[in-house]
Amino acid sequence: MANANTNNTEAEHVSIDSEAAHVISAVEECHDDDDVGALHDVVQGLPSHAVKDLLSVGVCTRCILRLFGIRGNIYSISAISPSILNSVIGEQRHGEDISSNSKESEFEEVLCALCLGILQFTYCDDKEIPVKKESANDMAVAISELVKREGYQIDSFSLEVSVPPIILENEHSVRLYMKRKYGTEPWFQGGPFSQSISAKDALKFSLAKPLETLLDCKSGISNFRIGLTFSHKASKVVQSVAVSKQGCKRIKTGNSIDSLDDSVAGDIKCSDLADATVERSFDGLQDNESSECFKFPLQKVNDACHLVLLCQRTPIYFGGRYLKYSRNVSQTRWIIDDERMGEASVEEIIGSNIQPLCQGDNYKFHAAGREDIDVRMLGSGRPFLVEVQNAHRIPSEAFVREIETNINNLENKLVGVKNLKVVGIEGWTMMREGEAEKQKQYAALVWISRPLEDVDLDSISSLKDMQILQGTPIRVLHRRSPLQREKIIHWMKIERIGGSSQYFLLHLCTQAGTYIKEFVHGDLGRTHPSIGSILGCRAEILQLDVTDVKMDCFLTE
Amino acid sequence: MKDHSVDHTINLEHEQEQEQDSLHRILVPDVRDLPLTPPSAIESNFVSYFAPDFTKPGHDQYVYRHANGLCVIGLARTHVAFKDTSGITAVDFNVGKSDRSGIKVTGKRKKNAQHFESNSALCKVNTDDASYIVRCCVKGSLLEVNDRLIKQPGLLNSLADREGYIAIIMPKPADWLKVKGSLLGLEEYKKLREC
Repeated sequence: MANANTNNTEAEHVSIDSEAAHVISAVEECHDDDDVGALHDVVQGLPSHAVKDLLSVGVCTRCILRLFGIRGNIYSISAISPSILNSVIGEQRHGEDISSNSKESEFEEVLCALCLGILQFTYCDDKEIPVKKESANDMAVAISELVKREGYQIDSFSLEVSVPPIILENEHSVRLYMKRKYGTEPWFQGGPFSQSISAKDALKFSLAKPLETLLDCKSGISNFRIGLTFSHKASKVVQSVAVSKQGCKRIKTGNSIDSLDDSVAGDIKCSDLADATVERSFDGLQDNESSECFKFPLQKVNDACHLVLLCQRTPIYFGGRYLKYSRNVSQTRWIIDDERMGEASVEEIIGSNIQPLCQGDNYKFHAAGREDIDVRMLGSGRPFLVEVQNAHRIPSEAFVREIETNINNLENKLVGVKNLKVVGIEGWTMMREGEAEKQKQYAALVWISRPLEDVDLDSISSLKDMQILQGTPIRVLHRRSPLQREKIIHWMKIERIGGSSQYFLLHLCTQAGTYIKEFVHGDLGRTHPSIGSILGCRAEILQLDVTDVKMDCFLTE
Repeated sequence: MKDHSVDHTINLEHEQEQEQDSLHRILVPDVRDLPLTPPSAIESNFVSYFAPDFTKPGHDQYVYRHANGLCVIGLARTHVAFKDTSGITAVDFNVGKSDRSGIKVTGKRKKNAQHFESNSALCKVNTDDASYIVRCCVKGSLLEVNDRLIKQPGLLNSLADREGYIAIIMPKPADWLKVKGSLLGLEEYKKLREC
């Protein structure tokens, strides 16, 4: 069994086993002069007649390389072209030099029947103008210019490519054709196409290194995504003429996708399926020689693919705790009949100070629970998250501290912020975790219909972990389910107010989800027990403040 | 050598104390700002309407309407039932075609809520001498009845305008507008009944 290695200039039938192909392709850090040399070496290792055959049916150079499982930087070499390929092969077939040269120009013009021009860096841009880049680098330049034009500040990027499903179908057709024609040859025995690289990956190989240079950062897992989405209005006309050396002939023409179902062995489906589905059906296919029928020769491609280039940053999160000093500020933007309720909202005050500094498209505000518009949020504050969509810049730690200071120094002092910082996706779980179990502490200004007595202070303080039953408060009954909710009042303490016999401060700690106002005034008897029922008189609540949200997240370190 | 960790702890405690103090200062109100008798929860959150002589003389009922559109229905203080010396002794929700206390309304969309006309019966209140029908006053979906009245009918005698309410009804906005004109506001009602 012959083996292949980079410096071997053996001709003709070379068996390529997958590991060797990998060795061949370990082409690191190419420089221009070495480029052609490296390419030369790689191509030498391929079966030249098979390569010529592929060229003749309209497969482009990079597609040929990727079908044979060649990996690495070779795809970004600008020197790749059918002419180079041909010249290398031409050396092996001395008599055909002249004819191979004349075919050169022909191949340059034609769109690859396999990848529809994607790996030839040919496409239609969003204005429907056809674009042909001479090299991977030129295409990378176009991409990097977009990134810079949109003003993204990045320290890494991830490339995502999406190609039309018809490419997978084409690939399968080509492989079957090759198997039929060359299946018995020695070089085929090593399974040369088992390590084929997808068009997506080949494009990524082409663009990654040039982009890393142009954008001055590494490609890999990143919150900044560069998406290349190719689409093609490939006609769905099915022309399948299978002519092979084995003599299997099946002719079927049809104009619809459905008609193909009957003629196809296994589960090839030519329709607009996601790549994954198409791939799955191809993987499982057995080469059933006698009954299959597939699209060959590949349909000529007249139009390039349409390319949509999209840069997106995944959402970034700012976590912290907010305080609300005003009784006229709602937590979130609250508009009824075109009129705003309250004079401002916590959401807008904080969000509007963060979003512009990230140059994000917009923001979303999330908080661990909420308080009414007329209730102040004091003490250590309430945990919140601001999610910024598609931020173009990510502020530094110092910058984030500045945002916090700006908010806290606003003239109207409606809202305050503590411990603001950029957090990862874990901030989300931290907030939601235990939201329903956490206890909250309040201070309520209460009035009762009779003078307060010392015994009252004791009867209130002595109640620990008292269970109450609350029917859905009338004030929210229009939009919430009518339910009886069991809640726990963990402890209570009355603080007398000097100068008043019927007003006092009630400090209490309750289970999350308890309606405090209703616990004080009883909500027409629908919350029981209530302060009024415990003290045997009428009780009213004038003011409420949240003094502690007992949660572990976004605390001062 | 000074123990800096102790200093640090003391500083932290001092800081926390200061925070607590300043928090406390914001919590305590200025007594001079406080009214002698504050408005009740009903006064603050509802608008009171009255339907005097509803379908029958002396059958005075109230409708408290919340900003969210819900209406609390009950017996006004001047209702003829309170003139009986025994006061109200029993309340029965089994009137008309169904027992109103048996309906289970569920979900945000208030499934199963029965639709009633303004003169549909809600319940019967009994004294030693007579019984009186209480009606909806407002056309809408019946969300709940005050079934505490079954065990504690006495609530009506002392607290008819609060814990003794009869039912909660949700009218459609259009239906409310139609009935609103026929109801009296608090001042008009007081003048009418000279109370």
